[in-house]
Amino acid sequence: MNERRGSLYLLTGLLLGLAIGLVYSLYLQPVQYTDLSPDLLAAADKDQYRALIAVAYLASGDLVRARARLALLKDSDPYNALAAQAQRWLAEGKAADEARALGLLAADLAQAQATLLAPTVATPANASPSPPAAVSPSPAGSVATPSPAETISSPAATLASPQPTTSPQKPFVLRKREAVCDPALGKGLIIVYVWDAQGNELPGVEIIINWEGGEDRFFTGLKPELGLGYADFAMQAEVVYSLRIASGGEPVFNLSAPSCTAANGEAFPGVWILEFVQ
Amino acid sequence: MLGRWIRFLLAIAFGAAAGVGIGWLRAPAASAEQRAAQLRIDYQSDVVLMIAEAYAADQNLAAAIARLVFLQRSQPAEIIQQAINFGERYGYSDSDLQKMRALLTAVESLTPLVGTGVP
Repeated sequence: MNERRGSLYLLTGLLLGLAIGLVYSLYLQPVQYTDLSPDLLAAADKDQYRALIAVAYLASGDLVRARARLALLKDSDPYNALAAQAQRWLAEGKAADEARALGLLAADLAQAQATLLAPTVATPANASPSPPAAVSPSPAGSVATPSPAETISSPAATLASPQPTTSPQKPFVLRKREAVCDPALGKGLIIVYVWDAQGNELPGVEIIINWEGGEDRFFTGLKPELGLGYADFAMQAEVVYSLRIASGGEPVFNLSAPSCTAANGEAFPGVWILEFVQ
Repeated sequence: MLGRWIRFLLAIAFGAAAGVGIGWLRAPAASAEQRAAQLRIDYQSDVVLMIAEAYAADQNLAAAIARLVFLQRSQPAEIIQQAINFGERYGYSDSDLQKMRALLTAVESLTPLVGTGVP
């Protein structure tokens, strides 16, 4: 009996000490981090950091630098992180300028990626196993553990990336307006495609949509997987919308969810497809 | 009896040491709480440069000051000056330094207004 008591009081002391140690180290004297790298920031601060990268990119158009900065955040998929944040901020009505910049950077990243991949696909026999140095900043080597000079110096090489297309000069003309009953496309959506005069899809085009008592804005390029010139908006039932491109062009009136009937007789809201050309 | 007390206190001390070790070593998992003010100076300088680049393009000083709040410094001019010093020391391009100096000049012109800054 005495033997058991002996081991129990030691165990009690150990547990008591452990509790004291944990309280001290976690609450009374927690570790204070200094000299953090951006990937260790709290999620909200990471979002702010990402937004700053985007507004700086919008100002400078330097995609190489933007890419190097994004690599510091160590997002598993920087492009998706940008696009998701842009959509989230737009939905929350938060910092519209930053949200737009995020969308543009996401779209330009996707477009630059597509530009890089295109020749490789077209001429597989001549494809080099590594992309050209000028457009490959080698994130793992130069960005993950940046020295100040590497992080910040202006890269001499510039990527032949499209410039942000924020305020096109020519007005947009509605080329197609079509109501579609295809559940695969979505339900109750207004889908907008925007092209420039050369037939290139245009990301970052702001679209203003109005309805009785309300207005909202959305942008092309926030879902690059569906096309850089693609944007969509979810309609409410029995609400009539009008829509126009913010930078100018033909407005579209009387848009309400088309009534459709599925093969099984079930009713569902259809989709409007609008195509604008500059 | 005294021996039991000594062993008990030793057990507490051992447990406390283990608790402190566990608490401090598991701290990286708590990095979700880390703020931009704790960024290393080169990253903070790059944040200032990003803000200066945007300011150079849009000349929107209010937006620039709002963005500087990200770094949680009471004196925005102080962190810009610090970034300029860092940039001069580590070879930022003239164009980048110029943008940061322009931002500093603009912020300093408002110093009485922005001095109270972040709590």
